[in-house]
Amino acid sequence: MLRYIVRRLLWVAVTLLLITFLTYLIFFVMPPTDPAVNFAGKQPTPELVAEVRKQFGLDKPVLIQYALFVKRIFLGDEYGWPGLGFSFNTRSALKPIIYERFLVTLQLALGSAILWLLVGVPIGILSALRPRSIFDRLAMGFALFGVSTPVFFLGPVLLYVFWFKLGWLPGTGFYSITKYGPGTWFMHMIMPWSVLALAFAAFYARMTRGNLIEVMGEDYIRTARAKGLTERRVVAKHGLRASLTPVVTMLGLDLGGLLGGALITETVFNLKGLGNYAVESVFSGDLYAILDVTIIAAFAVTLANLIVDIIYAFLDPRVRYT
Amino acid sequence: MKKQLMVVAFVASLALVATACGGGGGGTTGPTGGTGATGGIPTGGILREETTDFGFTNAFDPTGEYLGAAWAYYGNFLLRGLVSYPWLPGEKGGNQPVPDLATDLGQVSADGLTITFTLKDGVMWQPPLNRPVTSQDVAFAFQRINTKSLIAQYGNYYCGTIVGMDCEGKSQEDPIEGIETPDEKTIIFHLERPTGDILYRLAQPAAAPVPPEVAGCFDKAGEYGRYVMSNGPYMLLGSDELDISSCDTLEPIKGFDPDKFMYVVRNPNYDQATDDNRQNYIDGWSLVINTNLDDIYNRVLNGDIDIAHGAPPAAILQQYLTNPDLQDNLKTNSGDRTWYITMNLIVPPFDDVHVRKAANYIVDKAAMLQATGGPVTGDIATTIEPPTVLPDLADYDPYATPNHAGDVEAAKAEMAQSKYDKNGDGVCDDPVCDNVLMINRNYDPWTEYTPILTENFKQIGINLKVRELDVSTAYTTIQTMSNLIPIAANAGWGKDYASPYGFDFFLFNTAGLSCEGAVNYSNIGLDEALAKECGPKVYEAWKAATDNGKNPLPNVDQDMEECVAKPFGPEYNACWAALDRKLMEEIVPWVPYRWGSQNTVLADSVVAWEYDQSAGWTAYSRTAVNNGLTMDEVAQI
Amino acid sequence: MGQVTDEEVAEPGRTLGGAEPGSTIIGRTPWQIFWMRFRKDRVALAAGAFLILLAAAAVAAPLIARGLVHHDPNALFRDTLNEYGLPVVGPSREFWFGVDTSGRDVFVRTIYGARTSLVVALLSTGFAVGLGILLGSLAGYLGGWVDTVISRAIDLTLSLPVLLFSIGIAATCSITAEGCLGGLVQPGISLVTAIIALFTWPYIGRIVRGQVLTIRNKEFIEAARAMGAGTGRILLRDVLPNLAAPVIVYGTLIIPSNILFEAALSFLGVGIPPTTPSWGRMISDAARGQLYTVAWWMLFFPGMALVFTTLAFNLVGDGLRDALDPRTQVTG
Repeated sequence: MLRYIVRRLLWVAVTLLLITFLTYLIFFVMPPTDPAVNFAGKQPTPELVAEVRKQFGLDKPVLIQYALFVKRIFLGDEYGWPGLGFSFNTRSALKPIIYERFLVTLQLALGSAILWLLVGVPIGILSALRPRSIFDRLAMGFALFGVSTPVFFLGPVLLYVFWFKLGWLPGTGFYSITKYGPGTWFMHMIMPWSVLALAFAAFYARMTRGNLIEVMGEDYIRTARAKGLTERRVVAKHGLRASLTPVVTMLGLDLGGLLGGALITETVFNLKGLGNYAVESVFSGDLYAILDVTIIAAFAVTLANLIVDIIYAFLDPRVRYT
Repeated sequence: MKKQLMVVAFVASLALVATACGGGGGGTTGPTGGTGATGGIPTGGILREETTDFGFTNAFDPTGEYLGAAWAYYGNFLLRGLVSYPWLPGEKGGNQPVPDLATDLGQVSADGLTITFTLKDGVMWQPPLNRPVTSQDVAFAFQRINTKSLIAQYGNYYCGTIVGMDCEGKSQEDPIEGIETPDEKTIIFHLERPTGDILYRLAQPAAAPVPPEVAGCFDKAGEYGRYVMSNGPYMLLGSDELDISSCDTLEPIKGFDPDKFMYVVRNPNYDQATDDNRQNYIDGWSLVINTNLDDIYNRVLNGDIDIAHGAPPAAILQQYLTNPDLQDNLKTNSGDRTWYITMNLIVPPFDDVHVRKAANYIVDKAAMLQATGGPVTGDIATTIEPPTVLPDLADYDPYATPNHAGDVEAAKAEMAQSKYDKNGDGVCDDPVCDNVLMINRNYDPWTEYTPILTENFKQIGINLKVRELDVSTAYTTIQTMSNLIPIAANAGWGKDYASPYGFDFFLFNTAGLSCEGAVNYSNIGLDEALAKECGPKVYEAWKAATDNGKNPLPNVDQDMEECVAKPFGPEYNACWAALDRKLMEEIVPWVPYRWGSQNTVLADSVVAWEYDQSAGWTAYSRTAVNNGLTMDEVAQI
Repeated sequence: MGQVTDEEVAEPGRTLGGAEPGSTIIGRTPWQIFWMRFRKDRVALAAGAFLILLAAAAVAAPLIARGLVHHDPNALFRDTLNEYGLPVVGPSREFWFGVDTSGRDVFVRTIYGARTSLVVALLSTGFAVGLGILLGSLAGYLGGWVDTVISRAIDLTLSLPVLLFSIGIAATCSITAEGCLGGLVQPGISLVTAIIALFTWPYIGRIVRGQVLTIRNKEFIEAARAMGAGTGRILLRDVLPNLAAPVIVYGTLIIPSNILFEAALSFLGVGIPPTTPSWGRMISDAARGQLYTVAWWMLFFPGMALVFTTLAFNLVGDGLRDALDPRTQVTG
């Protein structure tokens, strides 16, 4: 078991290195334009550009730049640990910016997760217990709409209805709870949470329903019933446990993915989160910011994968040997 | 006796010359100095502003900062240079330098190579510096400009002009040969050659004094931006708490967070009596980052904030223009900026001057203005320099079309004369016209231009393949010569200062050519040496366009040299106007389509407001609010 | 995912296809069974019909534009805009879905947008499936270091921040005139297809690998090997046909998400070039600057088109999966 964990941890490290190297390739090496030109002013003479390049560390060969970057992450730089470098745009440390953005994304992700679990899973369970009933058909119909409607359409639609026409909810933007109070914060988060949660809730409802139906058809359920347990106990004690385990693991993976930044939701609702920052950085050529966000996103995903795999390996010994 | 009379006469004539050269500076309209209600305009209150992004080009370090808005912040609040501007619109003299830190506009020697300034008494640095501004502080600013590692983004206005400045300096402590400071109140500049517009250059923020005890700690570009010290009417919030005992004890000023906000409050060491131009009604100013553009304008409408810059999104703009209660709250002023389509002289089909002329006829400028938001966003441009910079060309329209909507027949007539239209029907029939790459920006209103331009050019047989990129990438793409971009619509160019030389120079002079940072996008004057240096692709294109050097590309360097030598005044302007005509009619590098306006949206709480032509922004030092707020209530630190 | 074999047909007591007990039992191939079961799912059939109609409309788009409505997708009707450049003509007789901020007919552009969505979805899924089958089979069948490398590639691709990389790759390939890979990948449909295929092949690859691993050890493969068949032959004749069912299942799962992926890329401005109508792009035009508060039709029609198309693919996919899975009871 320990060997398995160690092997997986090594693979996590390798994955992170590979991902950051790919990021380097895509954003630093491949583009045919020189990012330093962006930051050298209105009339970038070759001397100015050369000096900017030097100060940004872009004059070194790519592999050396990359090695320095990795070293900084692990050993820290002049701004603290981990060494996230500085922003080309503001020439100030990236760490505080990224930390604040991460908190916003965290609030978005956790809020949505709670919402979609509270909505999706019970609907899935109830539908599974009454297959083909009116409730089931309605719920699954609704779920189908949920997985077919993208955030960038639903968001503006909700804004149009609830903000523009009805005026029940305020518009876009993030208003932190410490500065504006819980009321304003909550009102501004309702729509982003709902929109982000909808697709997941729909997916989780379908998945839970499918799993539970499958599990309820298994032999050991029949045995439990034969033993005389009430239907409720059968479902709660045996059915749910088996069908919800995959849900929990999916939750881990989805949260990991979301922490990398729910890019589109943040863009539509103007939430200053990590995903939004990543897009801004790509568009302005702020290379270390891009790298940092990518590392965090990749780390969240690989860590989630790792935790899920370890739990699975714990539960199912067969997995350890693949 | 006679000698004494002669001396007196000489001095008197110098004084006359000085005032004549001083132009329209000095006292202007509006009440003079002092706090408290003057002429009925209330003092006090905090002017609250929001923006989606600071957009600083050098992290607010004045030595290299190139953002127009930043120049407004420096000039109105923080930095008093030897000379600056009166913070007024163009028609009230807003583009003419006036004395600020200096007692007058400088004494110029007879040969024009020396200019001497005397500093006023009573101009002090803010706490914790608490000392008078000295000539050494001014010299230090130039030492910083000269230092390579500080990346003075417009250092070229000084290096090569002031003796001893080459922008290659190793350290900001190295004094400059051509700048003398015989005592604390006198500074003398020695110039390489007579420079008519030297006052404009000295009015730029990089030339304003900088305290060595603080700025000397920062030798990398942009670093000083979080520690900017003020000798003006206001100071950054929290800057008076800096521990300046040593470089290590300095902490970034609390009142400026490059990701969040900037706050300024009054500078207790400022003496209004030394300042004829800034009225300083407000007690403070706050600029907060709000990534939601629509929200910003909504907040102005609600009165939650007082001012916002830039044209509101179309839906909100419509409200301001149609609602009679709101019409006064939207200000439109000339922005001294030309928006244009640039064509590359070495890339087919634009290497043929007739194609470029056809382009000038075919573009529907009226549609582009409508797509931008209508007349409030600017005027249709008919030539290169905006009329506020060069008034001589007010009625000049070499490619006039009915209602500025384009003229297909005229365009076809031009196209028929080009080598790409073999059968002379006015439509390009050469395969090179099939897929012509055009770079554009990827946000409003540029995305609206794409369908208009695509349809326009189709009529003369040019099929545009438009790539929409974010603004920085769009610029770097056209700045990289080896990309050989045929045509681009993403670019605009604003003045640095109100002289046609400053406007035209880098755009059309060979000094604006460079392999990766070109500003002369059209490649006017590109010669073999540079073409070779920029790589085989550029060299091949150059050879093809110039027929292996036999037909060299047009070059206006000489014309510019002649114009620069002319004396400042009507002759100077006439020379530049002639150059503009030559560019538009013979060389045709551009299709200029709009002279941009600067829009400002005010809440009802703003009871006095002026436009500052020099920076193209609000004259904060002449703006007043009646919200009665204090910085404690507003600041969110 | 079990196999439907011929044995099930003859099971006593079970009637399939309405044959009465005691009557002649007709043997059916798995595909016939599949089709019968699919036919019974009315919702899926309706969705399928919608998709066929949509495809027909997409193919006939130029006819509809010129012949029926008399508007080109890129024709600018600037008199429908007011002096501030805002569209003031909503759904009306002349413009069934209104106009957008450039004065273009939204109805025509919505029909053309179907082309973009359908072509990209089907092409990218096709490539993803092809790549997934190829690499998944190789990994599963050959094992060893081939398997290790491909599995790690799958893991890596699934961990990548997809949208961010898509923006980066698209930005890089948009700058020069030739695009990437020596002109093979041009900004536009080819770039978007390539990006989507690149990020979605691992889903198929993983499933295929798992399937192949299972099948590899079955007796009929051993028998084929014993008879002297080479790897290629075995892969083609014995392994691949058994992949059909799971590939269909997962392929239909990723089509709708690929449609949304392309729309998301267009929404962010990094997919289809501006003159080609695309639903994602149209939605983004409407959402920018809260334009939908002035022109709701710019948001509504392309958005609903997107939702219905994705929904239809989901329904058809569901129907296919139900029809293929012998455990689910298909009711009419």
